Amino acid sequence: MSYLDYVIAAYAVFVLVLGWDFVACRLQIGRELRNARRRAARQASHPASAGPAPRQDPDTQSPSELNR
Amino acid sequence: MNPIVRWFHKLGSPPYFDRFAARWAPWAYGLGLLVMLWGAYGALFVVPADYQQGDSFRILYIHVPSAWMSLFVFGLMAFYAAIALVWRIKLCEILAMACAPIGAGFTLITLATGSIWGKPMWGTWWDWDPRLTTELILLFLYLGVIGLYNAIDDRRAAARAAGLLAIVGVVLLPVIRYSVVWWNSLHQGQTIRLFGESSMDPSMVQPLIWMIVGTKLWFIGALLARARGDNLRRENGKAWVAALATGKETPAR
Repeated sequence: MSYLDYVIAAYAVFVLVLGWDFVACRLQIGRELRNARRRAARQASHPASAGPAPRQDPDTQSPSELNR
Repeated sequence: MNPIVRWFHKLGSPPYFDRFAARWAPWAYGLGLLVMLWGAYGALFVVPADYQQGDSFRILYIHVPSAWMSLFVFGLMAFYAAIALVWRIKLCEILAMACAPIGAGFTLITLATGSIWGKPMWGTWWDWDPRLTTELILLFLYLGVIGLYNAIDDRRAAARAAGLLAIVGVVLLPVIRYSVVWWNSLHQGQTIRLFGESSMDPSMVQPLIWMIVGTKLWFIGALLARARGDNLRRENGKAWVAALATGKETPAR
């Protein structure tokens, strides 16, 4: 194959950028769930000093709210 | 109420959207990956080498879909941002802001693969050609939207400010599209047409179509996953997020 180095480099860029995008999403979701777990654990161990209790989301009652 | 309208209203609910995104993002990612692998196999091993460019033209199979995605994602981002500004729909703010890093990624791929192709074909990594320069400005616009969104603490105010930048930036899209027509350009003109006859040989077109479909499916997966992450970030502290994180999730309605 002619220009093999260039073809490999271009496809490597494609794979790296899409791979980074995939990993970044997974990390963000994991981080947010970890934060939520920590917050829940803090509230369970120190209910008075752990800040406000989790808010009950009105969305769980009403399915039609779009624009809070 | 019309079932589609009811479903749309339900999707606006953060816990419902979380379940929807968690369910469908892996499918879109997986399907997108399979289709792209099929397209890449065709692009690398099935289609014949170009009589002028040799095998370097195989870079086109990732360059062109990425370039189209860079424009499509920006347009979609501005569309969501406009809806969010007019009707104050939070999910549209989230979706608009989730578009920005994905679109920036596709723009980066476009510039990098174009540059890699340009070195053996044009003899230079970069030229201040209208198409290349406007695509570079598009990358800066994406970075501007991402930067603005992260610079303001209030998520809703940040999304509105960044969304406005996205809407204004839409004027760049036709300039990129027609830059090869309006100015003398080193970049080649339009060779592939979705509607009408392409100047590319039909035997070379099929892998390109697979790559275009694959990148679209991958984008859907990435959009759902990124929007889910931002949704969880905004909703952190709500009971449903705590229940989800600790595994005490209420059953889906």
